[in-house]
Amino acid sequence: MDAQVRSVLRRVIQRIPNKNIENLLKKWNCLSADQLCALDYTRPKWMIVEQVTSFCEENRLNLKHITNLEMIYHIENPDKGVWHACQLTEAQDDAVGVDLTQFKEQFKAHLHGVVRHISIKIKKHEDEAIWIRIAWGDNFSKPNHLKPTYVVHHLHTSYVFISNLMAKHKIFLCQALVIATKHGSIKDGHLSTRSLTAMRELLLRRYQQVTYPAMFTVTKHLFAGLFTDPCIGKEHSEHEEMRYQMSCEAFGHGPTPKLETAVYRLETRYRGNGNHTLSDREEFFRGVVRFSSSSLLDSLRHCVASGMAEGPVTPLLSAITQRGRNYFVITDKGPGVSSQASAQRA
Amino acid sequence: QIFFLLFFWLGVFLFIMEGRGSAVNTPASRPLTRRSKSYGRSCVEAPSYFWQTPGHLTVLKVPTSRGAAKSQLITNKVDPEHIALLVKNEWKLSYVTPLHHFRHTQLKSYSRHLAAFIAAEKQQGVAVEVGLEAGFKVTFTAVLGLAETDEDAETVFIQIQSKPAFAAAADAPKVVWRGWLTCVNGDPEYLRSLPSDFVSLPLFCTSGSESLTTLVKTWLERAFDCNFGSLALNSTTLNWLAALWTGCHPTCNIRHLKLAWSLPTQPPLDVSYTVNPQDAWELWNSIHPEESTDDKIDIKEVQSFINGLETHFFRHFKIYLSAGTLVKVSTALGSAHLDGKIKIGNSDYITTLLTLLTESALLKMPT
Repeated sequence: MDAQVRSVLRRVIQRIPNKNIENLLKKWNCLSADQLCALDYTRPKWMIVEQVTSFCEENRLNLKHITNLEMIYHIENPDKGVWHACQLTEAQDDAVGVDLTQFKEQFKAHLHGVVRHISIKIKKHEDEAIWIRIAWGDNFSKPNHLKPTYVVHHLHTSYVFISNLMAKHKIFLCQALVIATKHGSIKDGHLSTRSLTAMRELLLRRYQQVTYPAMFTVTKHLFAGLFTDPCIGKEHSEHEEMRYQMSCEAFGHGPTPKLETAVYRLETRYRGNGNHTLSDREEFFRGVVRFSSSSLLDSLRHCVASGMAEGPVTPLLSAITQRGRNYFVITDKGPGVSSQASAQRA
Repeated sequence: QIFFLLFFWLGVFLFIMEGRGSAVNTPASRPLTRRSKSYGRSCVEAPSYFWQTPGHLTVLKVPTSRGAAKSQLITNKVDPEHIALLVKNEWKLSYVTPLHHFRHTQLKSYSRHLAAFIAAEKQQGVAVEVGLEAGFKVTFTAVLGLAETDEDAETVFIQIQSKPAFAAAADAPKVVWRGWLTCVNGDPEYLRSLPSDFVSLPLFCTSGSESLTTLVKTWLERAFDCNFGSLALNSTTLNWLAALWTGCHPTCNIRHLKLAWSLPTQPPLDVSYTVNPQDAWELWNSIHPEESTDDKIDIKEVQSFINGLETHFFRHFKIYLSAGTLVKVSTALGSAHLDGKIKIGNSDYITTLLTLLTESALLKMPT
């Protein structure tokens, strides 16, 4: 095992808490039962790394095995790193007929054709997701296994999720994806987050949509305790009901996908409080608004439900869930526009 | 028996009268009379008797208007090396009551005493720093030139360096803690009213470990009969900074005006709004024109500025930023956080920032 392989192995082991290492190694299935028993997970991390490394040397494991281990780690822990979404467009007629073998062949063939030194690994996970690991080299240097790109795609959906892609490799990857999935082009999805799970939930609509009446009975109990006077409670409950309904329509009910941020680049004319000098001018009042929270959609939903935001929910915010993106450039449609600004793609 | 009762009640009556008499003599508001206490030996009595400093002849008012931020080449007044000490660090703010018998001429002696104090505390087992320090070197320096008025006392900068146990003589000692006491444009009436043996340096900025900060504060409290408290900024101060800094844009590129709010949702939502500096300046200029003959900025104009930004935000997102709290303001000139943390970005406008902070410190002090 050369130095690079050892580095990859060391990095994987160092990232995992000691208690999870055993499971990962078992799934990997490259160490013998004796070796697995011999490992002591109570020892300091560096000792475990050394032990595992020596077992791998004993078993004469090579780069292939180690990169497999890294891939298993990422598949089991999809919410590490930063993921970006891309969307495939202009599906050709035979796009629906693409199967896994075809995809793999085409994808690898294209990349091997354009990049001299490259290492590609493709795995299909039980939930129908295709995981791809790419270590990039170039005309003169071997693939760099310390900075691999990871790509996740569900066949026959139009979304691709990418992590750790350098700008100079983007064009190669995009071309390969477009060809292998038989689409016309691919574009930026304007959605990035730490949690691949959240991204998939949002885009593949895996989280619960609104079934409003069932949820309201729950919240009625939540709000009931707030008002001691039943008359005040009754007065308020109508407003609460309406606000709650609006918040669920925009952001769903129940657990939401765990997004962390949403960024809006504002290029609209000034709409402050009756300030005539500024409201009359043609130029935009530029700024960038960034919302962040440990669970953005929950915060926004609470914002609407509690009255901190006025309903109906502005399309700027509901676009996060409706359009599945968290980066927007907001412009006025033209001079003398009406009060609503539209969300446009960058 | 009746006589006895009569005398008894007379005694009680007189007693009550005396009590009431003294209550009448003392005004209900701030004490105007000086209390002549003997401050005696500072290390013996508990600090709580001493921090009620006499001399509050005036009530400190919260200003509703102030002059615009003036740029000045501070390096004309202050040694650039000293300026470099203040800029680019993040400082935690505290206020401190006036220092008794503090002499700018005794700084070397204070350095020695504080170093000895820290060493003694460390020997007693008070945790200071993890490491193999043999000792600490403390330096008190006077930073001349920051004081603006005649009543302001000169700034004092304190630096603590650690001497590692096994270092060679040539090894540079590492700075482990910094702090400075300052007073910039302090309320002149208040400062004049202090007795002559008190020095007011109400703003204390620190950077370094909490344990060292506590030690330094303890020593200062014992040596100069003063009392410290944490200085949290309020949203009015942050609003002033936003407006004053924006007003500087023509002369000094502020690069951006970034405001951060925190809304009390579950989980909490942070909203940051970074405004293009030119656009922010145009908004400010439309409220308080640059050419206006009156150099004073009124608090209403500041509020109008912030309201304008909040309203522009509301028109887009329908979220009431006023439901949350403004927690941080930052531009290239510096940043200020509600928790009482500041960063000085550019020394040219340092006087403006320090004036506001000195004011906050004086207002926060218990009287």
